[in-house]
Amino acid sequence: MNCPICGWEHFPAAGRGRTAPAKGGSCPYKGTEYAELRAGHDQIYFGRWRGMDANSIDLRRAYHQLGRLLRDIAVALEKEDVPAARLDLGKAFDALRGAGPGVEGPEALRHLDHALSYAHRVIGDLLHEKGLAPHSPADFAGWFDAAEVPFREDW
Amino acid sequence: MIPLDRYPKEITLRDDARAILRPMLPEDAEGLWNFLRQLPEIDKSHFHEDVDRREVVERWAASLDYDAVLPILAIRGDRVLGSVTLFRNRTGWKQRIGIIRILIAPDHRHLGLGTAMIREIRHLGEKLSLNYLLAEVIEEQQAAVRALERMGFEKAAVYRKFVNDRNGRLHDLAVLLHPLSGLGK
Repeated sequence: MNCPICGWEHFPAAGRGRTAPAKGGSCPYKGTEYAELRAGHDQIYFGRWRGMDANSIDLRRAYHQLGRLLRDIAVALEKEDVPAARLDLGKAFDALRGAGPGVEGPEALRHLDHALSYAHRVIGDLLHEKGLAPHSPADFAGWFDAAEVPFREDW
Repeated sequence: MIPLDRYPKEITLRDDARAILRPMLPEDAEGLWNFLRQLPEIDKSHFHEDVDRREVVERWAASLDYDAVLPILAIRGDRVLGSVTLFRNRTGWKQRIGIIRILIAPDHRHLGLGTAMIREIRHLGEKLSLNYLLAEVIEEQQAAVRALERMGFEKAAVYRKFVNDRNGRLHDLAVLLHPLSGLGK
């Protein structure tokens, strides 16, 4: 079931081995700027498609989730004057097209990964325009089945 | 036309502290001088002039020309925390290339300030219809190189044992380029 606040699914179906921290079940993105974009990004970022045991269904799901995320970002960008972000969004769509809907193999995986990186940069640009710190998925890792928190380094 | 109407611009760092971004003004000479004094020697190697001489900094502040050199400072209170400078040629074959230099106070590194300043300069580069931003970084400054790469800069060249620091030691110089929308126009 999708979260009524951010529109994404925080609590995957039982039996997938995923748990969420006991925070009364509220949305971890509640009250954050661009909550739906952050949540959408993290849903993909921590998704099974990046794991060693990912199957073709996981990849196709990630492809469709990324398509939705990029469309949501495009809508948010329409209201902002951030040309660098528009450039990156274009690159994200290009990368997604490179993966293709039948997404298979390491090359497609690489394209998905690039599309997600560009999406993250665009979300960061949107937040920067509002004077906010960039989105850090690591801050929300506890809500996902993240075996390891990816490397984070800021300058 | 330089889009300066977005300043002063507030930003938030990773530790939730705030800073203001705005172009350098003549009255920033003191703040800039104090900022430059905190920088490690390796960072001072970027400059063409001796920034340990106060009159150099005062001359910069007194002769600001944003069309050629646009310094954006990150400020909290009256303290300068960082600077990103965009150098442009008004004419000639490099007039669509913006050369950038980013400096961050040692006690404000790894808080996202450098990344915020890269975002800012990308925005200005786009608004000025530049084709490329170019950054030159001593390769051992890996945090800076990685931050630039994460923001879309690509390593175009590395010159081995190419530049010297102020003690005469040689370092590898990485040249990073960021293509901008102007390239496709």
